Amino acid sequence: MIKFFPYRYRDYARIAAEAAVAAWRQGKFKEMHELLLKNSPKLDRDSLINYAKELNLDIEKFIKAIDNLEGKDIIERDLKLAKELDLYVTPAFYINGIKVLGVRDHEFFKSIIIKEIESAKKK
Amino acid sequence: MLRKNKILIILNILIFVFLLLSLEIYASEKKKKEILPLPAPSFPKDNPITKEKIELGKKLFFDRRLSGDGTTSCASCHDPEKAFTDASEISLSYPTTRNLRNSPTLINIAYAKHLFWDGRAKSLEEQAEFPIMSPFEMNQNLDFVEEEIRIVPEYREAFKKIFGQDVNIKLIAKAIATFQRTLISQNAPIDRYLRGDKKALSEEAKRGFEIFKGKGKCIDCHYGAYLSDQKFHSLMVPENPKYADEEKFIVTRRYVAKINNYPDYMNIKEDLGRYFKTKKKEDYKAFKTPTLREVAKTSPYMHNGIFKSLDEVIDFFNKGGGEGNKILKPLNLTEEEKKSLKAFLVEALSGDDLSVKPPEIP
Repeated sequence: MIKFFPYRYRDYARIAAEAAVAAWRQGKFKEMHELLLKNSPKLDRDSLINYAKELNLDIEKFIKAIDNLEGKDIIERDLKLAKELDLYVTPAFYINGIKVLGVRDHEFFKSIIIKEIESAKKK
Repeated sequence: MLRKNKILIILNILIFVFLLLSLEIYASEKKKKEILPLPAPSFPKDNPITKEKIELGKKLFFDRRLSGDGTTSCASCHDPEKAFTDASEISLSYPTTRNLRNSPTLINIAYAKHLFWDGRAKSLEEQAEFPIMSPFEMNQNLDFVEEEIRIVPEYREAFKKIFGQDVNIKLIAKAIATFQRTLISQNAPIDRYLRGDKKALSEEAKRGFEIFKGKGKCIDCHYGAYLSDQKFHSLMVPENPKYADEEKFIVTRRYVAKINNYPDYMNIKEDLGRYFKTKKKEDYKAFKTPTLREVAKTSPYMHNGIFKSLDEVIDFFNKGGGEGNKILKPLNLTEEEKKSLKAFLVEALSGDDLSVKPPEIP
């Protein structure tokens, strides 16, 4: 499950989150998410529209959504949740309730997941 | 003839004094290289411990106001749930930047004579300011943070009560340092063993202890109560290939070289460690000997987190350290000996988990 946490001091973080919500509403969240990560920090409005075109989204709908902040409720809901969970660092992950903060490599996640699988087997 | 005799007597006296001195140095070296139980920590005269100061320091330790963007506290990289490390190879960084080195544990930091991998601070009070103002750590301005803390009535009142003064950065550092000095290993089996409880270690850990003191030569640098010689050694630990060519990491490495007046900072390809500070040949790529207390809980290891497990660390020392180092020689430990050594490190040196809950921040 992915939650939104646009970093407050980055110029395009918020509009990028809007773009992701808009793409999600057109069934292309994962693809947009990948493009945003790949092209960061080039996340200005024009670039986002180009990514939407690349994904063959309905551009008119997409532009309307990001300009009118149609994803606001979802993004605000997630930001509120982050605050409640005392999360300030991105990226942040929860694996079976285990909090993992910051950029981590594949091995780090793997060891947690293996431990969790093993402890589930014992139960 | 008389003159000749006089000279001979003086020479004999000098030789005798020299022998005595050598014996004394030998004896004190020998004495130094023992493992000792943890004593109670000492507190500097100009920063005595009080209960209120510990509480204030704890709040500041967990307070994100200390970072420029309000996302990072000391506890972000010294997380109580991760033995006061952040369990990263290279410590967590200020958003959009990359840190340079691994975050060391703060458990038992009260006993450290030098702070940071390169030892650039000599007290916890001096140390505290560095990460706050580092652009790749907390990226905060010291004058600004004073005002951010001062504007909080509860903090202002606490500083007046504890120090008799208004908030300033030196007092912030003193309070944080006091809290950090309370993070002490509790009930570690090695301490019980050294105080006479012979059952505190398993038979395998006891064998490991013998290897630690003998064939493994660990005690050459890891001795005393803190299990560190408090010195710097160039073991030629390899650069961490994961970060060596990463743009953000290169930026940080160049920056650190630049602020340390390293002339060719633009072309620097390695972390030169203590050399950055001292510019002495013997400090080239030298890093502080870390404590081994709580080592089982503080992976990954070395200044750049290149080794994920104690097995990898033991293998590194067993093969005689990094390429080109002039300190270590191969140890030729057998698999069984390595296993026992690891058992000692894991079993003997791990105290009870320190339970430190984040306080309510004013």
